[in-house]
Amino acid sequence: MKFMSETLRAERPTLGNIDQILGALSEEGYIAGREIATSIFLSIALHKPLLIEGAAGVGKTEIAKVMSRSLSTDLIRLQCYEGLDVNTALYEWNYQKQMLRIRLEEQTDHTLEQKENAIFSDQFLLKRPLLAAITHHKAPVLLIDEIDRADEEFEAFLLEVLSDWQTSIPEIGTIRAEHVPYVVLTSNRTRELSDALRRRCLYLWVDYPDFRKEMEIVRRKVPAASEDLAEQICAFIALVRKLDLHKVPGVAETLDWSAALVHLHRRALDRAAIEDTIGALCKHQDDQRLLRGPWLEAALAALDDAKRNGEGWDSALERITRTLKPPH
Amino acid sequence: MRRTDFGDLTQNVTEFGRLLRARGVLCGPREVLDALRALRVVDFYDPDLFRYTLRTTLSHRVEDLKIFDAAYGAYWAPPAPAPERTDEDGGERPQETEGDAPAEADVAVQQWTNAEQQPEGEQEVPGYSEQEALSNKDFSTFQDEDLDRIAALVVEIAKRIATRLSRSMRRAKRSHRIDMRRTMRLHLRWGGDLPELAFRKRRIRKTRVVLLCDVSGSMDVYSRFLIQFVYALQDAIGRVESFVFSTSLTRVTPALRTRTLRAALDRLARTVPNWSGGTKIGRSFRDFVDHHAHLLDPHTVVIVVSDGWDTGEAEVLSEAMREIQERVARVVWLNPLLGSPGYQPLTRGMQAALPYIDVFASAHNLDSLKDLEKVLVAQAAKLARGGRR
Repeated sequence: MKFMSETLRAERPTLGNIDQILGALSEEGYIAGREIATSIFLSIALHKPLLIEGAAGVGKTEIAKVMSRSLSTDLIRLQCYEGLDVNTALYEWNYQKQMLRIRLEEQTDHTLEQKENAIFSDQFLLKRPLLAAITHHKAPVLLIDEIDRADEEFEAFLLEVLSDWQTSIPEIGTIRAEHVPYVVLTSNRTRELSDALRRRCLYLWVDYPDFRKEMEIVRRKVPAASEDLAEQICAFIALVRKLDLHKVPGVAETLDWSAALVHLHRRALDRAAIEDTIGALCKHQDDQRLLRGPWLEAALAALDDAKRNGEGWDSALERITRTLKPPH
Repeated sequence: MRRTDFGDLTQNVTEFGRLLRARGVLCGPREVLDALRALRVVDFYDPDLFRYTLRTTLSHRVEDLKIFDAAYGAYWAPPAPAPERTDEDGGERPQETEGDAPAEADVAVQQWTNAEQQPEGEQEVPGYSEQEALSNKDFSTFQDEDLDRIAALVVEIAKRIATRLSRSMRRAKRSHRIDMRRTMRLHLRWGGDLPELAFRKRRIRKTRVVLLCDVSGSMDVYSRFLIQFVYALQDAIGRVESFVFSTSLTRVTPALRTRTLRAALDRLARTVPNWSGGTKIGRSFRDFVDHHAHLLDPHTVVIVVSDGWDTGEAEVLSEAMREIQERVARVVWLNPLLGSPGYQPLTRGMQAALPYIDVFASAHNLDSLKDLEKVLVAQAAKLARGGRR
């Protein structure tokens, strides 16, 4: 069988050192901190899966994409959902094709056993993400996205695959990975994962980017936004994230909002600009109502003051968050 | 800033790993080994990289990170501490050791949860007469020394319910799905057109229970029993998600999964903010709807344990209740005060919530727990048939 191989863990390229990963990440448009780069580096160097947790919209999935691009290997993605079962994740038989073959075989004098071997062979096998990752010709990045949404039985099954890198298909036999994939798991923490799975992984918590990092992201991804505007946007977002909102805006929202402001030729943040574009920033009606209140003027004024006084943004934002009266 | 030759480093990292473990981080020899392997490939003279490396290898959940950061600051402090580190380690954790002998009730829960289903003949409940004597006594009137015995009885009742529940599920799972793989084999054997279809059994979908327990002031004692009760049920009725609330909402499912339930409850009482302050039911439920909405589906039974004393705005509560009821199979509200003679649910909070409650019951004594049994059994049977409400 073509899957069989004794050379488990063939040559695995590493990315060199952590600074190179940082560079590779930023070339791919991802602005990562050194902590993220360290975890990626170690996940590759130690051959251990990386479990990434964090709020929605902080770019967890991006990390796997970038990882595959920097390793110049393929990304195979398994999106988890409630009710995901082994068939969908691992393999299925191509029933239509099998039916046709049975028809064709009717006239031949092959024995039953021969016919059976024919239709339960490699060419009738539909590889789903896990099997595709195991049998890939070069170690791919396997992204298991939102593992918290799959149920516990699936998690147990996954744990087995992750530890043995082999699986058996009754009709074919055992299939063993020739190249152990790099695994990235993400979770939004809607369900507690088992300790066994956690202990198999390196852990990385991704938070919202701080002011400076977010500035860098906006400047790079929305180059049409002036430095002043980007500064205002990021400072304002930082304040918004401290509010008690239904849905806290992530990096994607920052970028959408910046693009919206630029498209409407807004040079600076004021009430009118925010009212016009609030749909890109906040997607929950109650949140929008909260932001539109009198809080908005106070927040904008505080940001203006901080800017005029030339106070550092980190300390300024902390002070404003502390002193500004939150909206109701 | 620290001793850097690898021999010492090995020892220090091991010791640091033990310190984390003592503070509740899931960190054992495997993690320490990973950390040491990792330190061989990163430049550990770089203080940031050193810290990131330990963080990613020695921690497994976001809760660990806070503990990690505190411990890191203390252990790898800039001026290299004196060589005898071990006392410091031992002295750090007087009250946090896991060594508490499990109370009787916890043993009962564990034995039961671990045990396979027993044959039906052996359903005798030990101490039945004792149970009868206690069964209509209000939980809050028990003395401390009674609590363990009561807890054991609560588990006993849960066990009987669980047996009945799983039986009703078995009866109901009648529908099937086509098993394509086996169909193909049959097809092959007989050739020609589609042969008989092979079926496979449908996976049964278990009911999920979401427990929202009021732990403010006088509700504390009831909540403890209810958490224990539902915890003991979870093998039979599928997943149980538990939350406690007073002025804010806290998810306690992971904490309750620890092997010593009683220790877990005690720890909760210490760590959950405002374990007995005023109550903001509406805000807590709002928070629940917003952040745990995925738990709300037609296979879910939500059980609220509260006396309905809400100090927040009534509309917030009624709005959240409405959203919850819309999405789930059933909302059960257990109010222990309902057991007191002459009680009328007149508080503003209770009034706001009432329109959105499917089952309003008391849960103040063992008898009323048995009533709860009926509700849950009926619900499970209905869900297994695929119906709603």
